[in-house]
Amino acid sequence: MALKAGLTPEQARARRVRRERVRRTLRHGILLAWTFFIAFPIFWMVSTSFKDSGEWVAWPPHWLPEAPTLHNYAQIFAFRSIDPSLSRQAAEQAFSIWKGLGDALLVCTTAALLALLLGAALAYSISRFQVGGRYFRHTILTIRMIPPIVVAISVLIYYAILIPYATSGVLGARISLFDTYIGLILIYTASTLPFVIWMMLTFVDEVPYTLEHAARLMGASRITVIRRIVLPLVASGMVVTFLFVFILNWAEFLLALTLTHPEVTTLTVLLNKFQSASEGRLYGPQAAIGTMITIPVVVLGILIQKHLVKGFSFGTIRK
Amino acid sequence: MARIVIENLVKTFGAYAAVNGINLEIRDGEFLIMVGPSGCGKTTTLNMISGLEAPTNGRIVIDDTVVNDLEPGERGLGMVFQDLALFPHMTVFENIAFGLRVTKVPEEEVRKRVRAAAAAVHIQALLDKLPRQCSGGESQRVALARTIVTDPAVFLMDEPLSSLDAKLRVDMRTELKALHRRLNATFVYVTHDQAEAMTMADRIAVMSKGRIEQVGTPLDIYNRPASQFVAGFFGTPTMNFIEGTIEAVRGGRLFRSNGLEHSLADSVLAAVPECRAVLGVRSEHVILGESAPLKGTVQLTEPLGDTTLVHFDSTAGNRLVAKVGPSTALQPGSPVSFRFDTGYCHLFDAENGARLH
Repeated sequence: MALKAGLTPEQARARRVRRERVRRTLRHGILLAWTFFIAFPIFWMVSTSFKDSGEWVAWPPHWLPEAPTLHNYAQIFAFRSIDPSLSRQAAEQAFSIWKGLGDALLVCTTAALLALLLGAALAYSISRFQVGGRYFRHTILTIRMIPPIVVAISVLIYYAILIPYATSGVLGARISLFDTYIGLILIYTASTLPFVIWMMLTFVDEVPYTLEHAARLMGASRITVIRRIVLPLVASGMVVTFLFVFILNWAEFLLALTLTHPEVTTLTVLLNKFQSASEGRLYGPQAAIGTMITIPVVVLGILIQKHLVKGFSFGTIRK
Repeated sequence: MARIVIENLVKTFGAYAAVNGINLEIRDGEFLIMVGPSGCGKTTTLNMISGLEAPTNGRIVIDDTVVNDLEPGERGLGMVFQDLALFPHMTVFENIAFGLRVTKVPEEEVRKRVRAAAAAVHIQALLDKLPRQCSGGESQRVALARTIVTDPAVFLMDEPLSSLDAKLRVDMRTELKALHRRLNATFVYVTHDQAEAMTMADRIAVMSKGRIEQVGTPLDIYNRPASQFVAGFFGTPTMNFIEGTIEAVRGGRLFRSNGLEHSLADSVLAAVPECRAVLGVRSEHVILGESAPLKGTVQLTEPLGDTTLVHFDSTAGNRLVAKVGPSTALQPGSPVSFRFDTGYCHLFDAENGARLH
């Protein structure tokens, strides 16, 4: 029997199968190309981290190290004595990866925790008490529209000039936030706070206010309500938010570069400084550090994925 | 045991008055239902009784104590919410136990009372489940058990059946009524569903635009609505309304509307003043018959099984509905004669909707 289009059912089916196959191939082709585009720099970085200095900028490029070596890692972690043939600066830098790692962990973790505590409390009050008015939640995000470099310069003036000047005048002691842990933690907390508020708002809004009403009618104090009802329900959201903000801090470069030197050194800043007089940019150790910085981000990213699903799907309440 | 007195209660949100000066006495052990369309202020009133909203003005007295400044947890109330508000991260047992735990009841007594409350609403088998594993009806019972367990003197219920399907809702009505009788507590129930109000309430408070229109027993409200609003809100299908004038004639009053005349030959109706008025007649009091004086044309029939609704246009141009027996020969387009049962006619002021008699 011929159908309207002049095809038998068998021909129509064959056409459908053919079209689906073409579509699928096309879809996968585009995705593969995109994945390659995204993943290539990471591949290059990891590959370079195992190359000896002669291969870093070889032409034609060596896609894979011809003589794989752990030398770069040895250098940045200094878990064996440094080859005396290496330049003096490189030997010194091999020591400073540990300090950079420590500084980055300290600053990023503290700032993320601080931002999480403040932001969660703010999100709660914005969600429940409409603090700041109806449009406040949108206003918050516009803060992020200011280019970081604008913030960096003005904060630098505060940290390095205004605050020391004011404190020496008023207190008689010169207090500077420039190149201090507190200074960097404060600016990281402030710059990530809008994200925390924005993300936590999503999670707090998900918890119906009537749950809190019900608990209060049963005699629970406001503190008990927050501890027993709200916190358990937004906990996974808080984990997600913490990880997200931690990654933001971990990858931050511009503020750290502007507001610290030489005492506080985060990993991203350290990465930038890896060069020697004799060899120029030390691409090998840089790639090794880059790889080491990326690993926690990838791990946290995978964790976030898991928690994001949980975070957004706990809404089991019939609406 | 608790009696609630509401005096001049006002709640405003900015310039908007959600509750506009209401007075109401809820008797001890009574099942009182506040009913009205969305935005009439019934939930706001309930929230003020519970303490979740602070009144802008007025007093709420529970058992001779002014509770305006008491915390919600200090008023001895239990509340079932529209969305039930079960804690999703706690088991059914912990949900029911929550109120006891926050008031530091000893563990052994907690177990005993939770089991007793669960038994009262037949959910013993659910205690280890999470709320999301319960069906709609089961969640409903969990919410009830959670309220029962603290043994409150007053139960507040904010449209608790609205999330259930139609059949379950009817079943739960019966159960709630039985529960009320068994617990002997005061129930204050909010709904927009007039059928729910009619079937369960001892008394109904009908609200509109932040005010109470009428308080009375279900039959009172059905048979003697205090205003056109109340008359229109109760009953399915909606009462027939015809605008016209009341004129004095020999021996009583005549209602006239564009050629439709209805003699108000009734001792009560005879006393109403001459004015512009709205005549209200329920569909079951519109009588169709050969010899009836008024004429019309059938537009539509709706067989409901036990009765049939006949929608027709009178020659004067009014669209009316009559409720007749299940088997009727009337078809769309057929002519029809009708009259109103004078004993069941309602007259309302055309200006303010108030009952005239």
